[in-house]
Amino acid sequence: MGKQISRFTVNGDPYEIILEPQMALIEVLRDQVGLTGTKCGCGTGSCGACTVLVDGKPILSCLTLAVTVKERNILTIEGLAEGSALHPIQRAFINNGAIQCGFCTPGMILTTKALLEKTPNPTREEVLMALSGNLCRCGGYVKIVDAVLAAAEIIREGGQT
Amino acid sequence: MSQEFSFVGKRIPPPDRAEKATGSAVYGADIKLPGMLVGKVLRSPHPHAKIMRIDTSKAENLPGVKAIITKDDVPKKAFNVTILPHYMLPPELRGDPLDQYVLNDKVRFIGDAVAAVAATNESIADKALELLDVEYEELPAVFDPIEAMKPDAPKIHDFSEDNVSVHLSFPFPTGDVEKGFQEADSIVDATFRAMNQDHCPLEPTVCVASFDTDGRLTVWSPCQIIHPAKKVIAYIFDIPEGKIRWLTPHIGGAFGAKQSLTAEPICIALARKAGKPVKLESTRAEELTAFESRERVIQNGKLGVKNDGTITALQTKVIADAGGYLTHSSVTTFINMRGFLHGAYRCPNTAAEADVVYTNTPIAGGMRGYGDSGGVFTMGQLIDMAAEKVGMDTVEFVLKNIKRAGDPSLVPFLTLEDSGLEDCIKLGAEKIGWKGKKAKKKEGVKRRGIGMACGAHNTTAYPVAVEHSSATIKLNPDGSANLVVGSCEMGQGILGSLVQIAAEGLGINAGDIHVIAGDTDITQFDAGSHASRSLYVMGNAVLEAAREAKGQLLERAGKTLGVPVEELDVKESRIYVKSAPEKGLPVAEVAQNAIYNFEGESLNISGRSSLEAKQLSPSFIAIFAEIEVDTETGKLKVLRIVIAADVGRAINPMTVEGQLEGAAIQGLGYALTEDFAFDKNTGVPISDSLESYKIPSTLDLPNIEVILVDRPVPSGPFGAKGAGEIGLVCVAPAIANAIYDAMGIRVKELPMMPERII
Repeated sequence: MGKQISRFTVNGDPYEIILEPQMALIEVLRDQVGLTGTKCGCGTGSCGACTVLVDGKPILSCLTLAVTVKERNILTIEGLAEGSALHPIQRAFINNGAIQCGFCTPGMILTTKALLEKTPNPTREEVLMALSGNLCRCGGYVKIVDAVLAAAEIIREGGQT
Repeated sequence: MSQEFSFVGKRIPPPDRAEKATGSAVYGADIKLPGMLVGKVLRSPHPHAKIMRIDTSKAENLPGVKAIITKDDVPKKAFNVTILPHYMLPPELRGDPLDQYVLNDKVRFIGDAVAAVAATNESIADKALELLDVEYEELPAVFDPIEAMKPDAPKIHDFSEDNVSVHLSFPFPTGDVEKGFQEADSIVDATFRAMNQDHCPLEPTVCVASFDTDGRLTVWSPCQIIHPAKKVIAYIFDIPEGKIRWLTPHIGGAFGAKQSLTAEPICIALARKAGKPVKLESTRAEELTAFESRERVIQNGKLGVKNDGTITALQTKVIADAGGYLTHSSVTTFINMRGFLHGAYRCPNTAAEADVVYTNTPIAGGMRGYGDSGGVFTMGQLIDMAAEKVGMDTVEFVLKNIKRAGDPSLVPFLTLEDSGLEDCIKLGAEKIGWKGKKAKKKEGVKRRGIGMACGAHNTTAYPVAVEHSSATIKLNPDGSANLVVGSCEMGQGILGSLVQIAAEGLGINAGDIHVIAGDTDITQFDAGSHASRSLYVMGNAVLEAAREAKGQLLERAGKTLGVPVEELDVKESRIYVKSAPEKGLPVAEVAQNAIYNFEGESLNISGRSSLEAKQLSPSFIAIFAEIEVDTETGKLKVLRIVIAADVGRAINPMTVEGQLEGAAIQGLGYALTEDFAFDKNTGVPISDSLESYKIPSTLDLPNIEVILVDRPVPSGPFGAKGAGEIGLVCVAPAIANAIYDAMGIRVKELPMMPERII
């Protein structure tokens, strides 16, 4: 298979991409779709910074071949807020001091979204397990866990995911 | 403290957090410029070799390759990537060898740069690297500093016969250390080893460089100290400093990694040759092995103590392994010795020596804690050992010996302005339940233990280095303000804290202050964000600038209201008469009327300050750790860490906690899991990925509690001191002491992996 024009749906919008078989999804998102919110921390699937949601499930976009997610719904960090209205998870991260350098933040927030959709009232242990694939070097995770639990409460009370 | 503040002391999210939460924050790797090329670096597979010949012809003929550089294409200007030794130290302290070039004639560690290419896309750049034909003359290599100092060891740098880059005799010894040991009733003497730690920020090293048609260079690089960095680049490349603009995109973590030049020299050389912008991104493997990490040390410490628990003498001998080039290692070793002798404890007789040694291993230099890491690991356990020798509880022993306000400071000819360390120790001990847990009998296969360590760390690099910071603030016609500072935000929240200080000092709402940083064209000089200095020094500059602007504001308002200036104040964007607060004016009205002025008195109300630190007001910390260790496997779980810190007044307690918690988890990694390994026989890095270099994840998170001892210091802005580094280095000795408490085994090598415990 040589270069092909393929259709992707990212954050609800259609994109036509010139796709090569060996392209990782992160390359398509950052270089062709032009959404640079998804970060590359290692390129080997160890840090979780490249996490995006595909049909609601967190995947590592640096290890996922773009060709395998052509027909699916891809959500990146740029698709979370509604216009200028931040998502409760974003607000909780901001207000609880869970963001420092911000490089792990997009991956952390999307993993959190997937967790809270599946488990709206997680225990601390469930949060730690769910985030265990997202490394953070700045914050030591303490405030990230606080933010996730706070977001869970906001969402349960507001009924909004 | 009873003082009422509107913004200082509040948990306000810093201004850049929203763009980070939405993915719109631009980091170096996100930058796209028209015509931008992709740069790649060819790195040495050999630990020690001469570069005899590089044939670039095949690579040059590959379509899409726009520039190739080798050692023949780069300036013959020797430097140290550590920006500090250039200009930032006084002339009498600049004796360290400048032992690096942009590309060297020899390679001195696996990963040392050999050549670089710039091409129109990444796959062409990769192919071009493969087409470079390099002829090496392999040389014998040495990977251990003690071996490297032997007479028959291979010579790594021509100017250094015995591979000792720098020999240091600590310049501020006190008393008579030999006499001090004679006065002691017991002496504790032990040697400890600490391996490197890599900063491992989540953002790999990156740089974008572009020369415009006038020869003006713009550098986008997530550097911590952009003004001094610009000066070193100007020196290396012979470009007038005024023709260089350094911009920082958002910084994806630094911890000292970005306090040195990293990708910039090669990126700039490629951009100059290609005549096009070049982006040079590092892989994670390069970030781990090709750039600095924390220095390795073999450290002997000796402590003399009387039977009543008084310390009579302290001495340390350090062998620091710099790797292939010196970088930060001599400065960090100086700080190591300083902290060991003059950090937390009173002692009248002190001395130290060190050798900073070259080996053919990855370069080692400065990381958060900056030299204190090896020294505090050593001291923290010597204290525990000495307490046991004289039959005292460690906390009791520590309280007997710690420095207090009025004692000599980190540098002995300066005086300690204040110390809250006693409070830190007492509150921390109470929180973790020290007495009861220490007294418990330790038995069984799985045992719990408790340990503590405490220390001091500098706020600023005073009096050793340039400590100059400048700030400007201007009022806009709507009463908002623009604050311009050279400090570098790398996640620590400095810009938000400076806004809070400006808001409090000027009297307008923090939400109405827009902060601008990260541009050397616009910001006045700042020595940068390192040495835990920004909040203290730039904070004072911001406060002084804010007060100048406030003075102009009140003068104008006084004229309008017909009231003397002394009777006015301003709070939350409103100027009011102190004795009759209902009488006043909005700041916006005064600011606008000064700009759009029809009385012949136009003025853009503003303030400016350019000052330096005049004090060294160290911060203090006590760390208590509770662990559970399996005595059969050596597997260790940290259950609880209590952090009790004196950082003066916390301008923003939320970001201060974030710094302390984050540093403590890095300390946990340093203590237990971050084994920066390379093959002892071949020098091949083993830790070249996040699979093999294990930084803590959520699964490693113990229960962490932070106690902030609120002790504002007179010299700090609203009483603040530095908080960026202090949280890291005491964790390892606290855990080591807890292991000893649980098992009676003293672990003297970092990281404390299971096989080193049992």
